[in-house]
Amino acid sequence: MIKRHKFAMLLCLGAGLSQPVSAETLKLGVLATLSGAGTAWGISMQGAAELAAEDVNSKGGLEVGGKKYNIEVVAYDDHYKAADALTATNRLIFDDGIKYIVGPLGSAPSLAVLPVTTENKAITMTMAFTPKALSPDFPFSFRPVIPTDIFSDPQIKWVAKRLGVKRVGALFPNDESGQQIAVVVEAAYEAAGAKMVSKEFFERERVDFVPLLTRVLAQNIDAFELDGNSPQTAGLLVKQLRELGFKGPIIRTGGDATADIVKIAGAEASERIYVHQSIDPSAPAMAAYTKRFEAKYKVPMNAFSPFFYANIQLMFEAMKKAGTVADTDKVRQQMLSLTGFETVLGKVGWTGQEQWKSNQQLDAPYYIAVLKGGVAAIVATCERTRCE
Amino acid sequence: MDYATLIGQATLNGLVIGAMYMLMAVGFTLTFGIMRVVNFAHGEFYMLGAFTAFFTYAYWEIPFVVCLLIAALTVGILGVLVEGALIQPFRDDETSGMIATLAISVIIQNAAVLIWGPAPRPMPDIVQGTLMLGPFSFPWSRLVVIAAAVLIFVTFWLFMQGTRTGRAMRAVAQDKETALIQGIRINAIYPLAFGMSVALAALAGALMGPVFSVSPFIGLTPMLKAFVVVILGGLGSVPGAVVGGILLGLIESFTATMFGSLVSDILQLLLVIMILLVRPSGLLGQREY
Repeated sequence: MIKRHKFAMLLCLGAGLSQPVSAETLKLGVLATLSGAGTAWGISMQGAAELAAEDVNSKGGLEVGGKKYNIEVVAYDDHYKAADALTATNRLIFDDGIKYIVGPLGSAPSLAVLPVTTENKAITMTMAFTPKALSPDFPFSFRPVIPTDIFSDPQIKWVAKRLGVKRVGALFPNDESGQQIAVVVEAAYEAAGAKMVSKEFFERERVDFVPLLTRVLAQNIDAFELDGNSPQTAGLLVKQLRELGFKGPIIRTGGDATADIVKIAGAEASERIYVHQSIDPSAPAMAAYTKRFEAKYKVPMNAFSPFFYANIQLMFEAMKKAGTVADTDKVRQQMLSLTGFETVLGKVGWTGQEQWKSNQQLDAPYYIAVLKGGVAAIVATCERTRCE
Repeated sequence: MDYATLIGQATLNGLVIGAMYMLMAVGFTLTFGIMRVVNFAHGEFYMLGAFTAFFTYAYWEIPFVVCLLIAALTVGILGVLVEGALIQPFRDDETSGMIATLAISVIIQNAAVLIWGPAPRPMPDIVQGTLMLGPFSFPWSRLVVIAAAVLIFVTFWLFMQGTRTGRAMRAVAQDKETALIQGIRINAIYPLAFGMSVALAALAGALMGPVFSVSPFIGLTPMLKAFVVVILGGLGSVPGAVVGGILLGLIESFTATMFGSLVSDILQLLLVIMILLVRPSGLLGQREY
């Protein structure tokens, strides 16, 4: 009898050993703008998620707490609208059971979805520049991209001094993101000794800016600020500004849009544009990531993409350390403990406690570049407080 | 920049955008005048025209005039087919016809997203450079739009006034039954009118593609503006669509230049409401009894 039991146990054990350990699926949500003017940003986020998933899946999955997880990316379009973002978030959380979301993208969508993601303890990685996106009230909200609040002062100070800018004009989208950025940028120009003499707001669907630019140019500006506009809109603004005969410098304080500006306005019209450059494209890890992204998606990589990729790298590492994918609170705490972690951006850490009472802002260096012949050449390297 | 320069610049800007509204509205009002169909898919045919021009001009580098002809022909033929397959069954039911055009709009837009993707695509300019006349800056790419729009409209007008088919279309618009008695084949006129209408939208899209950019979502704003224009000019009235289109373009340009974008949107619609209060049938529309 005992022998028979032993034989049965051995059979079971053998059967168990011969079965391959099948990996479970861990869904990673993407909540971004995948159509319309903000598509370049949305694709940069979706691409980061898919490439990070590819990394893990090609190695047989992510090993967490003795289990292997294959990463599956589920992406929804928020159309850069708060209501659509909320609908997509509800689908991600309640229909798909997702607890890790790359997104939301804009400020208005972020403010709409953060109460829901917080209540359901879903970790989010936002691109929203609004200061309200990081707060002790939203402990699961992380921001991998560096917002205008951090870089506007040092960057504008450096550019305004170098160009001797005194009168600035700008157009901003008429939503939470645009309004917020306008306030920050205007204050930064004031602090740098320049004045924003013409500031206009428009609805995001607009493509004909000529009447508004005519109004701005009537104020005899000596520089134009592009911050707050989507890459495609920034390209159209540059094109239409130059068509109206504006030859002065154009400044793009935040948000990578270089590829789209050059593509839409052309290399000649893009001369004398000073842009915020969030990455150093010549760094080997960055060059490799860019090549991989562009080979897969056949579009120029938006420089926000590696920030999301870096954040996902941090998150996967945090899951391993936490030993769980179910307890997002533990993952969140482990993620915050990762400082000096090597990512595609180089060594990164966290900051933000001082400004937003939430240390969930990714900390990385950034740069100022000037466009020459359609190519961005770095002219200054910046840290949190200064550029040189 | 002094006031005279500002006014000159605003006038040109208004004429460019007004020319586009005019082409859109003429097609839109043609469909209504002849077929009594409010075509909610009109903006999608504008988008298809822009995409046709994008591929023929930017990819295959065909001369732009030929690209315009290709856009008008392909979209026009598509319009004829759409009319025959999806609008004809609802010919005597205006409400169902409207719903059908709404469905066509969604189908075309979503198909475009699936095929070409959602990202906007920039198109190279037809002509580069800016015409500088004293303090005025007139981008050549925009001047070409005005010239082309005028030429297209004149051709359309001559066709409607001087050809047998054009006269037959006008007869159907005036009185369907009498036109039938006169031996006009309505079953041939309807698809032709719809095809011509969407070909005009396609031409507007092809002309504006290089000025702005091309994406599956570009049809919505011109469609809404065309709607405002035909109400302003008089539903079913071609001269009304011309006057309304140019007028709305100028109002939009002047108010945006003088008061900014947000006030401009309010003022435009307020002006339209005021005009309609004074003339409920629109500027050049006929009152229906």
